[in-house]
Amino acid sequence: MGATIGFRFPEQSVYLDPTRIDEYVTALGITPEPGWQCAVGQPVPPGFLMYVTTYGADPVHGEFDIDFRNTVYGGMKCEFRRAARIGETLRVSPYVSDVSVKTTRSKTLTFIEVTCEYFDEAGELVATESSSTIQTAVNAPSGDDSVDHDVQGGGS
Amino acid sequence: MSSQGTGPADEPSTEPPRPLSIGDELPSIRTPPMDRMRLAYMAVAMRDPNPVHLDDDFAQGIGLPGVIAHGTFAVSYVGAAISRHVGVDRIRTFNVELTAPVFIGDELTTQVTTGMVHSMGDETILEGVLSVRNQDGTLVARGSASWISP
Repeated sequence: MGATIGFRFPEQSVYLDPTRIDEYVTALGITPEPGWQCAVGQPVPPGFLMYVTTYGADPVHGEFDIDFRNTVYGGMKCEFRRAARIGETLRVSPYVSDVSVKTTRSKTLTFIEVTCEYFDEAGELVATESSSTIQTAVNAPSGDDSVDHDVQGGGS
Repeated sequence: MSSQGTGPADEPSTEPPRPLSIGDELPSIRTPPMDRMRLAYMAVAMRDPNPVHLDDDFAQGIGLPGVIAHGTFAVSYVGAAISRHVGVDRIRTFNVELTAPVFIGDELTTQVTTGMVHSMGDETILEGVLSVRNQDGTLVARGSASWISP
């Protein structure tokens, strides 16, 4: 399992494909701003970049032995230097930025945060995005009377 | 697969954004009921192979009543609530934590409330508190964001 803080995945190119962004906007049923068209040069909607750090990025999550039966998506954070544009190709080298484990009476929860810094073709930083996943393992009964933490997460 | 379509959520306003003050709320986004077609599109767009979004048997096998929506929905709707008002180019930070699953039929409503205002160089930065709730009032996502004041 590659979930060690600092573990860095090979650099990859991310083409901000208009077809794929159109699929994303179609799923949402809403455009990101008035007059927006899914065309080269238009801004990429603010939630789109998280896809690289989620399950879809097989090179990333393939390293984590993710079992979909016990994994949820916990959330994301993103800092934009500027909006990415449709048709751009960005370079990114995802890395594991945080790993933490919480053990409760009944479960062991592993929180894995993957961070991506997106650079444009000029080498300028465009955005930094981090996503968290939560993997849950059920503990064997131990008689431990510690209190369960409030564990949340809502998607993937 | 449902034959339901992916009808639009609220249409974006074409009016120019008005200046915001602390405590102001941005116009909310109210989504139509979540449907399987949306999940299918999102699965393709995100290249997300997780069967929990597409396979009821799988979802029920892990204790859910049925498939759940991708986390990207709640994240993206609250992002759109900001970007539709100020423009994508003005968003600087965007943090969202998912707090509850979204199911087929759920209707989501975003809330973005303006908080602090501060200056950074020549720019005025607004910070906002974000939430997304379903039709029962359950909080499904919460977070914060900042953007350059229009």
